Amino acid sequence: METIRDLIPPPHIEGIKHFVDFASVDEILRSKDFRQGSHQESQPFFGDSLLTIDHDVHFERRRLQAPLFRKEALEYYEHEELLPLIERALEECKEASNGTGEIRTDLCALVRTMLARISAVTTGIDGVDTQERTDAFRTYIEQLGTGATVEWSTEDHTTVISRILEIREGFVEEFYAPSVERRKDLINQFRSGDLSEDDLPRDLLTLMYLHWNNDWDDELPLREATLYLVASSQTTTHAIPHLMIHLHEWFQEHPEDYEKRFNREFLKRAGHEAIRLHLPSPALLRIALRDVVLSSGVKILEGERVACLFTPANRDVKVFGEDARKFNPYRETQNVKPWGFAFGGGEHTCIGRTLVTGLSARTDNDDGTDGTLVNIAHALFNAGIELDPDDLPTYTELSHHDAYGRFPIILRNL
Amino acid sequence: MEKNNGYKLKIDPEICQGTAYCVRVAPDLFRVNQGATVDVIESNPAPEYEEQILEAATLCPTRAITY
Repeated sequence: METIRDLIPPPHIEGIKHFVDFASVDEILRSKDFRQGSHQESQPFFGDSLLTIDHDVHFERRRLQAPLFRKEALEYYEHEELLPLIERALEECKEASNGTGEIRTDLCALVRTMLARISAVTTGIDGVDTQERTDAFRTYIEQLGTGATVEWSTEDHTTVISRILEIREGFVEEFYAPSVERRKDLINQFRSGDLSEDDLPRDLLTLMYLHWNNDWDDELPLREATLYLVASSQTTTHAIPHLMIHLHEWFQEHPEDYEKRFNREFLKRAGHEAIRLHLPSPALLRIALRDVVLSSGVKILEGERVACLFTPANRDVKVFGEDARKFNPYRETQNVKPWGFAFGGGEHTCIGRTLVTGLSARTDNDDGTDGTLVNIAHALFNAGIELDPDDLPTYTELSHHDAYGRFPIILRNL
Repeated sequence: MEKNNGYKLKIDPEICQGTAYCVRVAPDLFRVNQGATVDVIESNPAPEYEEQILEAATLCPTRAITY
């Protein structure tokens, strides 16, 4: 089956300038002469969140949230939350196998289950504990993700927004509102001296209510939480199926590498390639704040909206070599992150990137965590993952995204 | 300035994208250079700068700072 596809620009970016080469996209993303231009239709879900604000206000919001991504926090998420959750999700698969040792399941749903709890912990959503509650929470994240990326939907956008706003009410009632109330109560106890700051939860919602800014509207924490819930699971959920199918093909063509499926350094490189080739956000828009002439000589007028197409830019042969369009876990890149624009660029570089790539990612020069991609891939190979030969993966038809909708797998070692 | 040999502050110039967030939170340690990226002023800062170092390293969108 075709595993590397070209980006077909969706309707919402038709009729504006497209930039497809790495250098131009990089220049635009770094420039302070542009502001965010994406997520216009998805404002009800992401409006005024970190993703859509710029410059000074972006800096202040990011500064508020940065403690969630300190090294010790990342180590806690990975070792105390992610790894046990991966094990638990596989254990639940094992229970469902009725002792046969072989289980058929869907990889997309399995990865979302593995990530649901860590999304809840970083965001500050309580009660994602039992399998039933985790399934309900996971379904809400999937639906919120559909609303938050409505620009890419192949369905009628107005219908999607209405439907997901209604679903969000259920999420608020079941998960969000009780979590916020508990945090407000804890913050009140802290302010009255009955609780120390160290006893407060360390999550997004606590930070926002603890450091409330009167410029914010009452629903902003919900939209910021939506960003965290969707983004913290979307990249990995999107990438793992691509990673698995590329490694499946790679091991067929390079059987001598099959033993490396448990090698974390190899998996890291493979993961970087998968997200380079298959970006969770394949294009972003920017609006010029003044007339700009790029190094290439291209002129952009003040107020003009332009599209940075990350998918072709991440396959630019000038940066990634003649085989840039192919998956190659041994690829060496100079002067750029191995995943290119998979996490954006400039001040809008994804704040949660290290959750996915780990602190040990190439070019980070740090250690302590391997990130969700490597840990989940490693666990899946331990569980004996194979593609189901009778039920091959299919791409989603609900979105223009380069994403699998179904990815049936067999786990043979459970 | 008292030296703290426990830290060796560095910026990877190939990763830095010049957002200069580090300059805002630690102006004694970082400065914007003529290439619109950032240089380290003091690579072996005093202990009282520990919090600024940790904040700058975490806040950097591209995580170009190591210490």
